[in-house]
Amino acid sequence: MNDRLPGPALRVNPEKTIHFSYRGRPMQGVAGDTVATALYASGVRIFSRSFKYHRARGLYSLDGQSSTCMMEIDGIPNIKAEITSLREGMAVRPQNVLGSPQRDLLAVAQWLDWAMPPGFYYKLFHKPWFLWPIFSKMIRRAAGLGRLNEEGHPGNFENLFLNCDVCIVGGGPAGLQAALAVAELDLRVVLLETRSHLGGFYDWRVVRSAWGQPFWARGRELENTVVQHPAIRVFKQTHLTGIFADNLLSAVQTGQPGEVFDERYMEIRAGSVVVATGSAERPLVFENNDRPGIMQCGCAHRLARTYGLLPGNRAVLSVGHDLMLEAAIDLADMGLEIAVVADARSTGQDESLVDALAQRNIPLLKGWLAAEARGKKGVKRVLLTNRMREESRLFQCDLLIASAGRAPVLDPLLMTRTRFELDRQTGFMLPVQLPSRLYAAGRMLGWDDAQAIEDSGRLAGLKAAADCGFALSDFIKPLEKSLQGRFQFRARQMMSRAPGPGHKSFICFDEDVSVADIHRVVAEGFDSVELCKRYSTAGMGPSQSGIPGQNLPLALAECRGHTLESLRPAKVRSPLRPTLLGTLAGKHYQLVKQTPLRKIQQQLGASFVRAGQWERVQYFGNDPTAREEIANVHANVGLMDVSTLGKFRIVGKDALAVLQRMYVSDLSRLIPGQLKYSAMCNEDGCLIDDGMITCRGGDDYYFTTTSARARDTMEWFGYHSRFEDWDYHIVNLTDGWGAVSLAGPAARQVLSRVVKDDVGNDFYSKGYVETQLKNGIAVRLLRVGFVADQGWEIHAPASATAAVWNALWDAGQDFGIQPFGLEAQNVLRLERGHIIIGEDTELRTTLLDLGLGFLWDRNKKGFKTVGVAALHQTENQPDRMKLIGFKMNDPSQTPPGGAIIVDTQVRGYVTSVRYSQALKQSIGLALVEAPLARDGTLLEIFIGGPDRRRLGAKVQRGPFY
Amino acid sequence: MSATITCPICGRRSIYEFRFGGENRGPRPFDDQATAQQWYAYVHLRTNAAGPQQEWWYHRDGCGTWFTTWRDVTLDCEVEAKEGKNE
Ligand SMILES: [Zn+2]
Repeated sequence: MNDRLPGPALRVNPEKTIHFSYRGRPMQGVAGDTVATALYASGVRIFSRSFKYHRARGLYSLDGQSSTCMMEIDGIPNIKAEITSLREGMAVRPQNVLGSPQRDLLAVAQWLDWAMPPGFYYKLFHKPWFLWPIFSKMIRRAAGLGRLNEEGHPGNFENLFLNCDVCIVGGGPAGLQAALAVAELDLRVVLLETRSHLGGFYDWRVVRSAWGQPFWARGRELENTVVQHPAIRVFKQTHLTGIFADNLLSAVQTGQPGEVFDERYMEIRAGSVVVATGSAERPLVFENNDRPGIMQCGCAHRLARTYGLLPGNRAVLSVGHDLMLEAAIDLADMGLEIAVVADARSTGQDESLVDALAQRNIPLLKGWLAAEARGKKGVKRVLLTNRMREESRLFQCDLLIASAGRAPVLDPLLMTRTRFELDRQTGFMLPVQLPSRLYAAGRMLGWDDAQAIEDSGRLAGLKAAADCGFALSDFIKPLEKSLQGRFQFRARQMMSRAPGPGHKSFICFDEDVSVADIHRVVAEGFDSVELCKRYSTAGMGPSQSGIPGQNLPLALAECRGHTLESLRPAKVRSPLRPTLLGTLAGKHYQLVKQTPLRKIQQQLGASFVRAGQWERVQYFGNDPTAREEIANVHANVGLMDVSTLGKFRIVGKDALAVLQRMYVSDLSRLIPGQLKYSAMCNEDGCLIDDGMITCRGGDDYYFTTTSARARDTMEWFGYHSRFEDWDYHIVNLTDGWGAVSLAGPAARQVLSRVVKDDVGNDFYSKGYVETQLKNGIAVRLLRVGFVADQGWEIHAPASATAAVWNALWDAGQDFGIQPFGLEAQNVLRLERGHIIIGEDTELRTTLLDLGLGFLWDRNKKGFKTVGVAALHQTENQPDRMKLIGFKMNDPSQTPPGGAIIVDTQVRGYVTSVRYSQALKQSIGLALVEAPLARDGTLLEIFIGGPDRRRLGAKVQRGPFY
Repeated sequence: MSATITCPICGRRSIYEFRFGGENRGPRPFDDQATAQQWYAYVHLRTNAAGPQQEWWYHRDGCGTWFTTWRDVTLDCEVEAKEGKNE
């Protein structure tokens, strides 16, 4: 099974066996194989079933341009087997089949194609509407590719952010020469190559090059020089996914065996960019062009030369480029029987290649091409015709190598502002105007001979280097001159197709879109490339424009009878290649902050929850409703970690002016020791933040913000003073300082045991005290009644916060101190009628709507306080939503948060609701239309679901507890 | 997505470090009292020029400075200041 043909250009090591499984059965490949080549070597020919019709599909190309080789590998669906390196122990499964790819029970779909014309989703299944849920269920089961791994996304992901002078996209001869030209000037180069080796189309060719050595050897020589060059970083198996403004490139690299990541996201900021993506084969379109056993020429040639696998026994070739004639000769010499070579070009072939075919008695039919493949699960016979289909001949074979010729790979350039024109000589869409600092090189420009390709790479490299500040015109000009007049393609490369309706002539393999479908779509009026693409879904599958991108515009022009010069390629967008979600959003992006009290609380049995940037304690022990924690704050004293609160110092001559602009209250009379509760609005007058402010003496202030707002506060203050010449400094102490909240009837006794001062009435009348604990820790005490009448926040440097907690904990033992978390806090503040911003407010609730108008100091003038203009305007608007408290009529009923409040229509909704153990009553806050906000109004709360009903509630203003 | 923004203090940096603060429309033209029209025009209306415009940017993951720069929104790139338009 591991027998491979010998050859000089092999990229596999037949000595080293690799074990894997396919459909649960053990299989073998060799080191250097891809999953697809290992399966091919093991005799697998049907690789998948197509998306819509479940047609058998096989190995078609080796560069991941179509979905025919997509499989589930190690639990991840939709992996392209032909570009995935084989690893020891891999578990490979086919997808989109019921049974096996050989006998797919869903294959009946291909006889139902009449029922699935383009757009059939829109047309067929919307009437009658009551059947839609049934249809959608059926379609969902049959449609889609692969099944999701519900346990999560296995694999290791990482990212890499790079800077370089020049980034080169494509590691073929042009890209390698460009890289060397740049690197020789000691500029830093990043080179991206999608394959697992460099050298492009040199890599597998054994014919002699103009430099004397065979092409493959020339390729490896260039590869080694580049890989060893200290100024060049080479990334293989790396797919460009986007080019953005200012030459920001994104790419995705697949981990090779032995690498620590499975896939990684890359971003490259480059001074200049050289795109040298070369050309790909233009798929030949004919009836049943998707049968297993039909493959592109490069695929067959590389199977033999790179992987040592003879792709079949008896082959027919229908091709359109000299490289493919060369491949035919080479494959024949390796032992493949070649029945016939059809060349879509009537003239223009390299005579030496024509002679070589004749020497081997291989018939060459000029101006002929494949019109139809026959055989159900694999190709058995091929019908060849001349271009106008006047003559035809049938050939037996088990391999059809089919290709219309070559076409430039334009995807990277199509994402930029490059202007293209169709070149009559080559038939290529050529870039005629590129944005600055972006260059194209190599075969994508139409160069056909190796020397010209390498020279154009070098030229592009020099131009890119010149952008980085080198005077290189002495080198650039002669190179430009020598390239002038160098011949390009010998014959024009266009879509070739024998005439016929084309019902099973597929333009897009991913989505099963045929030539006939395109005709139908155009007849329905979707006749521009973009509309046709969306309506037919050609090119919208996993390989995007890979296969269909080449032929869709041509097919469209053909059926509209337009001139080819008017062609425009379909727009492409990032990501150019499908990317694993794990790569874009994997766990390495989950940056989360932990408070200095995390460890202590963990030991106390805390359950943590993600709250914004932070991980916070939801509750302790096993009770998510936190009843004991709540009862303990009511009866004794509780301790809570509130380190996430925003904590800021603002100091300077104009600090007060800034505060006056941001806060709605008048802070000018704030004296040391006094603590003031106030709020900030946005320009719409809507509440965005509340907190405590104190003056530490002179022009030095300390204030807190909500946890959610901490991050934006510096920015907010800066934004609203950006036009002022104010002298102030603001310091964010949120992470540098921790804080605990001590609350409950016994809070004062606990505090008196730990602080140095005498907690007498004088102390107690103050809102803010800066003092020390008995153990010497400097703390700031803020009198806060958010969750209890007797409540203090104790702020201390983060490094000392744990010591503060421990001191309070020890002192509180005699008073029954217990920790409490967010759930308890939520119920406690609800009982006291306090709001949580973001939960009981939204982006259209003003300070006045929330009943916090008392914070607004209307006599404060001249500070342009943010939001005040809007408050003036909205204060008398009759139709605003108001925040109210409510009690449930049936005390035991607790509606879900977010439930709507109705009479004959929706009148509001519940923002917070909990059952209060202390009150033996469900209580909540709700936003309702103003007429319903009066104290004592009866509300009806709608409960949906199977037992829909309305619950009664009554508006109650003011605190409940 | 423009790739870089030039901070007057830190120099040319990745755009991810910054936060967009909108086109420059000058200081707020009214005090605590404003007509609905004045307020609406300042808070909610934008010029949305197709071409170079002066914009506010905040160096959030950097020095924390608010500053203005010129950017051509059709090219997505920072550009030289429009003559006579700098504030
Ligand atoms: Zn900066």
